[in-house]
Order: sequence, then C-alpha cells, then structure tokens
Amino acid sequence: MATVLFNAFSFLQKKLKAQNRPYAGAWIDLADESTVADLISLMGLERTDVEAALVNGTVTPFDTVLRDGDRVGLIPPGTPGPYRVLLGMRGRDNR
Amino acid sequence: MSKILRIDTKKKTYAFEEVGADLAALGGRGLTSRMILNEVPPTCHPLSKDNKLVVAPGLLTGTVAANSGRISVGAKSPLTGGIKESNSGGILSQKLAKLGIKAVVLEDKPDNAGLSIVVINKDRVEILPADPYVGLGNKEVINRLWDTYGKRMGVMSIGPAGEQRLTAACINFADPGGRPGRAAGRGGLGAVMGSKGIKAIVVDDTGATRVPVADPEAFKAANKRWVEILRAHPVTSQGLPAYGTAILVNIINEAGALPTKNFRSGRFEFAQGISGEHMAEVIEARGGKTKEGCHPGCVIQCSNVYHDESGNVVTSGFEYETIWALGANTTIKELDDVAQLDALCDDIGLDTIETGVTLGVAMEGGLIPWGDGKAAIDLLEKVGTGDPVGKIIGNGSVFTGQALGVDRIPAVKRQGLPAYDPRAVKGQGVTYCTSAMGADHTAGYAVAPNILKVGGDVDPLKKAGNVDVSKNLQIATAAVDSTGLCLFVAFAVLDTEDGVQTIVDLLNAQYGLSLTPDDVVSLGISILKDEETFNERAGFTKIQDRLPDFFKEPLPPHGVTWDFTDEEIQQAKQYT
Repeated sequence: MATVLFNAFSFLQKKLKAQNRPYAGAWIDLADESTVADLISLMGLERTDVEAALVNGTVTPFDTVLRDGDRVGLIPPGTPGPYRVLLGMRGRDNR
Repeated sequence: MSKILRIDTKKKTYAFEEVGADLAALGGRGLTSRMILNEVPPTCHPLSKDNKLVVAPGLLTGTVAANSGRISVGAKSPLTGGIKESNSGGILSQKLAKLGIKAVVLEDKPDNAGLSIVVINKDRVEILPADPYVGLGNKEVINRLWDTYGKRMGVMSIGPAGEQRLTAACINFADPGGRPGRAAGRGGLGAVMGSKGIKAIVVDDTGATRVPVADPEAFKAANKRWVEILRAHPVTSQGLPAYGTAILVNIINEAGALPTKNFRSGRFEFAQGISGEHMAEVIEARGGKTKEGCHPGCVIQCSNVYHDESGNVVTSGFEYETIWALGANTTIKELDDVAQLDALCDDIGLDTIETGVTLGVAMEGGLIPWGDGKAAIDLLEKVGTGDPVGKIIGNGSVFTGQALGVDRIPAVKRQGLPAYDPRAVKGQGVTYCTSAMGADHTAGYAVAPNILKVGGDVDPLKKAGNVDVSKNLQIATAAVDSTGLCLFVAFAVLDTEDGVQTIVDLLNAQYGLSLTPDDVVSLGISILKDEETFNERAGFTKIQDRLPDFFKEPLPPHGVTWDFTDEEIQQAKQYT
C-alpha cells in the first residue's frame, strides 16, 4: 500500500467539497502500483476534469506509478498564464 | 485625426501636434518606448526636466474589440535607471482614444513645489492648481474629482508616495467602481509624475465621436470571432472570472516555485489560507465581488472586490502578485492583513510587488518580525508621511536593503523580483535577467501558437529550451502591449489556431492594412530593440542581466539552483 499527500486546486476544490471528499493536505491510502489516473478515479473525478498532475512538484504523466510519501496536486483546465507552458503543462498528452 | 497632446509642466501650457509618419503605426508600449528612445536623453536624471512621461492607449483601444482598454505609461525609470513601460487597466484609456488622443506627454518640470491637475475634455485642456487634492490618498482624490467633474471620469493619480517622488511610487487608475484598484505599478513612474508636479489627470469623453474604423463589416466579423475565442477557453471564461489571478497561489506553491520568506523556499506552509480558492469563498461569504472587468468591454472579468468581516470594502483588484508579495514572501498568513496592505498600497500609491519585496527585506533586516501583519501595516502607514523610515520603505527593496545592511536582496536592475522563483521556473528567470524592464513577470507573458517554436516538453527546473521560451514570450508580449489588449487574452490565444490571426484581422479592419502574424513578430522585436538601445545608451551592459549570487543556493523543495552562464542568458536577446 502507498500513502500519498493529496491536494486539488481551482474548481476541483468545490467539486470535491460537494462530494464530501478532502481536497487540501489529505493523506490518502492507495493500493500498490496505483497510478495518478487511479487516484483521480478514486477521488470521484474524471480524467477530463484534470489538465495536469504535479507529483512532488513536477508535471507528471497520468500513468505514473505513485510511491509511498509522494505529494500529488491536481490542476483542472483554466490555469492562467504562460505557466502552463513554463511549468511544462501545455502539450502533455494525458488522454 | 489622431493627435499627440504635449503638456509643458513648467509653463502650464499645452499643444496638440499631428502624428508623424514614424509614429503612426505604433500604439501602447510600441509608442511609449519609441518616443522615450527618440526624445529622452538616456543619461538624464529620471526626476529631471529632461525625462518625459508618455501615456498611450493601444492600437485597438476605443473600439468595441473585447478587452482592448489597457493603457501604457512610459518614461526613464527612477527605480531601474533604464526604460520603463508600465501597463494598466481602468477606464481612462478608452476615453483618451475616443477623444482622438494618441498620447499625452508630460514634459519639462515646474520651478516650484506646487502641484497641478490636468483636465481634458472634448473642447479644452486645462492645467489647474491641485490645492484641493495635495497630500491626499488616491481613494479620496478620485472621490473628490468625481464629485467635481462627474462620475465615471477617467482618472490617473498619484498618492503621497508619488508626491514625494519615492522610487516605489506607482500611478493609480480609477476602475469602473471609482476605486484606485488598477495601477501602472512598476518602476517608480509615480515619482516621475510627481517630479513633473502633476497630481492627477482627468479625462472626460462626453460628446466624443466614435473611433474611426476603416472597414466596419470586417471589424464586426473579426470581433465576433475574437469574443468567441475568449468565451470558449477555460482560462478566460472560467478560471479567471471565478478566482482571478490568485488561482496561481496554490498552483505555483504546488510546483515548488512560490518564493517564501524572501526567496528561501518554493513552498509556503499556509498557501491554502491565502489562495484564490479561499479568497473567493471569503468574498462570497462577505458580499463582495468575485468577478469584475477593469474596463468596459472586458469579457474575462478577472478583477474582484474584497470586503472585511463587517461587509465594508477593503480593496479591489486583489491579485496573485500582490497576495504573494505581501503574503507568502513576508510569511504573513492572514488574508485580511494582506488585503489591508493592498488597500494601503493603492491609497498611498505604491507598487504592491516592490512593496512586498521591500517588506521581506525589512523583515530580513530585523525592522519588523517575520509574518507580523499588524507590524507590516503600521510600517507601511509611515510611507507618505514625514517619517524618514517611510521614505526608506517607499524607495523600494534595494534602497531599504542598503539602509538596513541586508545582504539578501532579490532584485534585477534594482527592481524587486515578482512571484515566481527563477530557480524553479527557469524560463521566467531568463526574462527577469534579460528584460529591459528589470525583474519583470509580464515582460515575457504572452504566447501564440505560431510564435512559440518550442519543440517537445518544457522543464521549468532545467535550463534546456528555457532561453527560447523566454525570448519568444518577450517578443509576443511586446506586440500585444501595443494593441491595448489585456495581456490575459494570450491565455486563450495560446491554444487557438487562429488567435493571432484574429488580432491581426481586427488591426487590419480598423486601419485598412494588410498585416500578417509575421508582422506581429516583427513589431514585437522592434519594440524590444528600441528598449535595448535606450538601455545601452543609458549605460547598461550584460552585467546588469544577472540575478544576485544568492540564487546559486539550492531552493527547496526541488533543490534547484540558478546555473545559467552570461552567454546562455544573452541568447534570449538574439532576435534574428
């Protein structure tokens, strides 16, 4: 089992709150070999809800396997700025 | 048709002049930078009679094109000693454009210490004693000017900081609600306006005719597509209206790039408490506004109005940069304290970014405790009074650092760094170093698909590809800054095939031209070259294109350092 620190941002906060799910600084238990995509489903979200996932502060593909103690941040579409480019979010094909 | 209004601030006279062929195709930043290059001796003292303040709407301003109401203000900067363009929202720009005024230029300087106001309407220009407004904060200045001249007048004004010619002084612009919530913030342009003895400029466009459009049908079609683009994109249609720019607090924090405690770390433990999501919740609960446009015709509506617990307005235009500078950078974690500091900056007339970096330096120097919001408020209230400590703080981060014997001052070309640690967002770091503006985040902000020639992935933590990213962003931004369009349109344009073409279509329809997207690139490059040329003549070399040495320290959480060489950085200025 892996336990990860979970954060979600922007519209995802309201969405998760409405489902009574955590969205900030929450430790979540995952089955072994769970990926970012698995975590997204576990939290009741669709893949299309998420534009990019930051794992330990870096934009990471959705098929990345999560390790114990990893920190995950989910970002929906709607992030302003060239930061989408500068942080490497734009152009990553996560579908 | 379009004229330049020159104001002699010594004789208190004015004259309209026809626009020469060399300036006709320029607007906004393109115009201000060209005029400063042509007319201001690059070695002059920025507070002297030889500096000029050029105020210019953009090429599309005054038309019905969505989001076209921004304004550019240019001069030699008293903060950096180089050229400066500072961009603002508010309601003044469109009024100048509708009056057929391509630029207002403040020249020379008065012999005595008196202040004046300039009032512009369709029939006349008046330069009047500013007695009823001297010493007042921007909030009261706008209130009184609206009482005297009418509601919803365009107003640009300086507060006590600008009156005292302090180098962190900005110029504030009235927003649609009559608050001083928008600003030409960076580089001390408030001090230049103060040195010319001008407290405020009022613009009344009552009775003005519409801005002429060469091909109204083509314009209408292009604007229809333009609005579609802005309304279709999740950033401009959902993200920004819901949370404003403050949505970046959590995201940049997550990426490990939110400069915390004077650039010691990229993560702030209390980021959620000052985040855009939390701010929106508080605003909703207290009856404020989570979305508002800063000028008529804005469809993005990223601005906001923040109330206190009793439901009174505290501040408006509560932005990411401001919240970072006055919050995470100082480790102040109470959003209400940060809002109070923002309100003070708007009223005293201080650049919020420079002020936040300055407060961090002041805490570094032991003047006030880290994270102490109340102490920061007390300290900031001294600016603009006779208090000598106020004069120190109001002169910005480098001046304050020197006064306190601090060795850790995050500035480039004497301008305090904005809200992204350069080690963790390396493309942004290259912009801080190479922009003629000094450490500036909006200088390399706009992107269009056919301009950005970055192949593959961009990694913010590594050097590869980031020099090119910075260069291309700077080129595109310079072009957008000339149109009067809000920079945030770039977020939609980035992902839309015909985004740049639509902007080109609007320009062509308005002026009867046949521009192409390549011309946009050329325009951007020519503006950057104008600015580089001025700075070279003012004495700048590549030595000023550097971050302070302490950025070679590793930054938690990623452990990244600033490791570019001078030669690598200079590639961002190779445009051909």
